[in-house]
Amino acid sequence: MSTINKSVPKVEAKDKISGKMKYVSDYHVEGLHYAKTVRSTIAKGVIQSIELPPLPEGVTIVDYQDIPGKNVVKMIYEDWPVFAEKNISHYGEPIMLVVGPSKEMVQAVFDKIKITYQEETPIFDMVQSKVDYHFTKGDPQTAFQEAKKTIKYTYETGYQEQAYIEPQGFIGTLEDEKVTLIGSIQAPYYVKNAVIDTLSCKPEDVRIIQATVGGAFGGKEEFPSLIGCQLAVALKKVKKPIKLIYEREEDMEVTTKRHPSKITMEAAIDEENNITAIKSHVGIDGGAFLGLSSVVLSRAMIAATSAYTINHLQVDGDVYITNTVPNGAFRGFGAPQMIFAVEMFINHLAKDLNEDVHDFRLRHLAKQGDKTTTSGTFRDPILMPEMIKKACQISGYHKKKALYESSEKMKGIGMSWFLHGCGFTGSGEADHIKAKVKLRKDEADHVYLEIAAVDMGQGAKTTLMKVAAEVLELPLEAIHFANPDTDIVPDSGPTVASRTAMVVGGLVARAAQEINENWQSGKPQIVHKSYKQPDYMEWDQATFNGDAYPAYSWGVNVVEVSVDPASLEVRVEHIWSVYDVGKSLDDNIVIGQADGGTAQGVAYGYLEVMNHRNGKLLQKNMTDYVIPTAVDMAKTETVLFDNPFAYGPYGAKGAGELTLVGGAPAVAIAIEMAINKRVSKIPATPEYLMELMNND
Amino acid sequence: MVRHRIPVTLEEALEHLNETTYKIIAGGTDLMVQNRAWSELPPKFDAPLLFCFNLEALKYVKEENAFIKIGSMTDLETLLHHPLTPEILRKVIYEMASPAIRKVSTLSGNIGNASPAADSLLALYALDAKVEIKSQKETRLSTVSELILGPRKTALKQNEIITEIIIPKSSFTQTCFVKVGGRRADAISKVAFVGCASVENNVIKDIRMTINAVAARLIRRQDIEKGLCEKTPDEVKQNVNAILEAYSTSIQPIDDQRSNKDYRKYTANNLIKAFLNTL
Amino acid sequence: MTKITFTFNGKPIELHTDPSRRFLDVIRNDLKHTGPKEGCGEGECGACAVLINGHIVNSCILPLANVHHQEVMTIEGFSKTKRYAVIEEAFIKEGAVQCGICIPGMIIAVESLLNRNPNPSDEEIRVGLSGNLCRCTGYNMIVKAVLRAKEMGKGLW
Ligand SMILES: Cc1cc2nc3c(=O)[nH]c(=O)nc-3n(C[C@H](O)[C@H](O)[C@H](O)COP(=O)(O)OP(=O)(O)OC[C@H]3O[C@@H](n4cnc5c(N)ncnc54)[C@H](O)[C@@H]3O)c2cc1C
Ligand code: FES
Ligand code: FES
Repeated sequence: MSTINKSVPKVEAKDKISGKMKYVSDYHVEGLHYAKTVRSTIAKGVIQSIELPPLPEGVTIVDYQDIPGKNVVKMIYEDWPVFAEKNISHYGEPIMLVVGPSKEMVQAVFDKIKITYQEETPIFDMVQSKVDYHFTKGDPQTAFQEAKKTIKYTYETGYQEQAYIEPQGFIGTLEDEKVTLIGSIQAPYYVKNAVIDTLSCKPEDVRIIQATVGGAFGGKEEFPSLIGCQLAVALKKVKKPIKLIYEREEDMEVTTKRHPSKITMEAAIDEENNITAIKSHVGIDGGAFLGLSSVVLSRAMIAATSAYTINHLQVDGDVYITNTVPNGAFRGFGAPQMIFAVEMFINHLAKDLNEDVHDFRLRHLAKQGDKTTTSGTFRDPILMPEMIKKACQISGYHKKKALYESSEKMKGIGMSWFLHGCGFTGSGEADHIKAKVKLRKDEADHVYLEIAAVDMGQGAKTTLMKVAAEVLELPLEAIHFANPDTDIVPDSGPTVASRTAMVVGGLVARAAQEINENWQSGKPQIVHKSYKQPDYMEWDQATFNGDAYPAYSWGVNVVEVSVDPASLEVRVEHIWSVYDVGKSLDDNIVIGQADGGTAQGVAYGYLEVMNHRNGKLLQKNMTDYVIPTAVDMAKTETVLFDNPFAYGPYGAKGAGELTLVGGAPAVAIAIEMAINKRVSKIPATPEYLMELMNND
Repeated sequence: MVRHRIPVTLEEALEHLNETTYKIIAGGTDLMVQNRAWSELPPKFDAPLLFCFNLEALKYVKEENAFIKIGSMTDLETLLHHPLTPEILRKVIYEMASPAIRKVSTLSGNIGNASPAADSLLALYALDAKVEIKSQKETRLSTVSELILGPRKTALKQNEIITEIIIPKSSFTQTCFVKVGGRRADAISKVAFVGCASVENNVIKDIRMTINAVAARLIRRQDIEKGLCEKTPDEVKQNVNAILEAYSTSIQPIDDQRSNKDYRKYTANNLIKAFLNTL
Repeated sequence: MTKITFTFNGKPIELHTDPSRRFLDVIRNDLKHTGPKEGCGEGECGACAVLINGHIVNSCILPLANVHHQEVMTIEGFSKTKRYAVIEEAFIKEGAVQCGICIPGMIIAVESLLNRNPNPSDEEIRVGLSGNLCRCTGYNMIVKAVLRAKEMGKGLW
């Protein structure tokens, strides 16, 4: 068996530790100009007038009238404008940029711009559906008719902010007609394609270079396309290098977040107290524009029974449009909301039915060969029974559960079981992404990975270089992987959806194999490879039928908490995790993903609070939007199971998102045990726990 | 054009304060945040600044008779580790901000900022701390609680500077500090509580309780405290509801981005109760 | 304009500028050291941390005036020391670095912590690093790295 999982020093670690690594805000070019975004101060309405001060020499206003192409950020739907024209759809919507040779000059103009609006009544409730999906599995109708009883609950989740420590930004330059943007991004080709549409220019006139990314978590998947388009328009007009870096508050107020959701689940129960069917409705708040919300919705819906198999399903979902900041990609992509609901639901069902929760869950756990929610097949071995045993053993779950359930002390232990689909949904990889990679060998027999994959800290560089080195039997020092530059690398797809190790890594391995087979020492060689879908995959996007993912990663989280009797503050005491990510390409890197992902997932469940009032976010800086410090995070212990996937490099599946999606239900179930009340909403803050305690 | 000053001596500082309107800045951990501008631009102050943090004459901790005296530019990190720092004040400082912030923030800044959620004030109110205030012509003393008029409002005059924090030495048989914030470290209080008491021969001789973030100013109800003295702990515990009732006129919290009024009131009551139950 | 002097990574510096400016801007723009990062600009995240007289301080809310006559060390200066080499090795071995944006500040925090307490416990490490937010790692490996560094660097602090 391959020992590729043995950890090596991360290739870029030294530069990062010593402060030498350059992030986008560290770049400087001669003659740099600065841009600042003028934004709406209402949630909904129409711009009536814009009054500009006299502009000093060198200061330029850039707005929708300067857009040569389409005033829309290319994503799935064409509803997200680069700059607002007349209509305002959310607070903080970009209207124009002020660009000038110094921040003083830009700020002075910025302060004197007066915009008046005709305000309209904004919509904040989830009532206006813009996208709706539906699918069924089996025959839910009959199952519900034949049910002994039915049980229905509703679960709600709040916003979550990515809170990467490096705010969004780009620096751009113009040479002749060519726009070059260097940015903190996850998807260089998303930005490139969006800019081409906005500028209505030739592909070769747009060059996107990824700067080292200081954290992303999905937040730098689609949103940078918006900034990139605005900056590109400004470059064309101003014809000077321009820097556009967000301030923390701006970043928190206007960039995409995890969709708040409301999920209703109803189960049909038979004579043996088994679940025969589930009907669910998944509602997510898309914010003002759709962006990627429809994909988030579909991923949530496909996770409708998470790690369990239920034979009859009806799953409906809506993306609701509201006059709030657009929501978007965030590690987990719809799954954290759904898996929270599923895990709480199965827990609550067991309690209602007087069943032992553990038994009840085991009876419904998915097995190899079962049909997935979308009537595809779980083809690969599922190790969950052993993983669950392991998790119970390392955490002392059963003993603690018995103890805490019978004691007055406010302590609890919660467990979640979950899966995560790896890669794009259905035929997305084959039909839309069509990933390509290029490997180049030079005369010195060094091999260069020319791919668009982005290392945003998750270790893509080290792991993909290891894959190439292992296949080529070369030392890591002979493998090179520079930050992607669209003038050099082909489109390997965005770095999202836990697809990079599995899909791009798979292509890198194939390309390396080919170089190896035709190895000619001292001679340059170039190999291109494109994605090929596994033959077994069949997917009908219209009916959500077939294999939604080529593979699934699996996980178990156990979280132990204590709740302070006076303040109801939750203290996370310990976290244990067991994961099956196929084959780890580097244990330190995978466990690092696990530590960080679980921290985000658990914090989503009890700590991180974001709300808006009249469309304006209340927690818009790092003081008020609280993420865990080292003191808040408990010790974590992680065990990895080997379960190699035939189509992944050395058996690797996805690891990045899996580690986040089970944290919230695990902590919420632990809190339930500690306070002996039912939690149906996250974050389970002390304020919410107080309501539960008072509702006797 | 504003002209900021970096005085070298206290006398020089006082002289400047007499000349024109200056804003005193100590560590700046409140002022620099409140007045921050677009990054890379100077902060937006509407008055010239008088930088006092490095006035060596105001950096000390000493014991004088029945008092601990703290120079107003002593940073919180120094106080955290100083042997003369009163125990309850140390407990509070330990949970304030982070090591990096404590190194450049001061008690006089926490007082001068007059935030309803200020933490050190819990200890300073409970310890009957006073401040020495100087102008070029005058030196006066004020209790910390009298100096603070409301959110961001103090009774300091334009030409005055806090030079010293004076804390009467006291001893308690028990002290307690509970801070409830959004997380377990580096958080702003949703509500926080200090309790100090001396119980001798099963009789309460001295008791002090302060609560922040539940009213425009910190709460300390000496009238209620007096009523508890000379009682036995058991008598007090039996009377908890009446005591909470008495506090309820002062506990008037608000909803904000960090918490809500119901939770603040609920928790403040629980913290008072929990402390009284430990007597 | 005010004259400000201080020691910067061992070298004397004299600047004539507005003393209210954020020290972070002076470091990054005037002194061209980009190791300290801006994560929040309000003292909350620690990405901008530097050492002043050996103690961690967040430079994003530090007025330049307060640095007058003090000794400043940034990650660039610190990275030339023996202690740094130990911390670096420990961070690499434990895999404690992900996106890296918090790391220069985190290293400063570790140095400042070990300066105050050469033998911190797990809990003391967490408290010592509580002003440095990391969104990637969940802190587990960072704490392990500090435990490793204090062992490897015995006698250095
Ligand atoms: C990240 C972060 C975390 C924080 N956490 C906490 C916390 O946990 N608890 C808490 O209570 N606070 C907290 N604060 C707020 C702040 O650190 C404290 O209020 C601190 O004590 C202020 O001290 P300073 O010296 O920095 O004040 P400055 O900002 O310098 O001054 C504050 C005010 O006091 C006035 N002032 C200062 N010194 C004098 C003087 N000698 N005479 C007259 N007026 C004076 C100033 O004019 C100004 O109005 C936090 C701040 C930050 C940035
Ligand atoms: S940038 Fe200074 S603390 Fe965040
Ligand atoms: S490594 Fe990314 S924030 Fe710490």
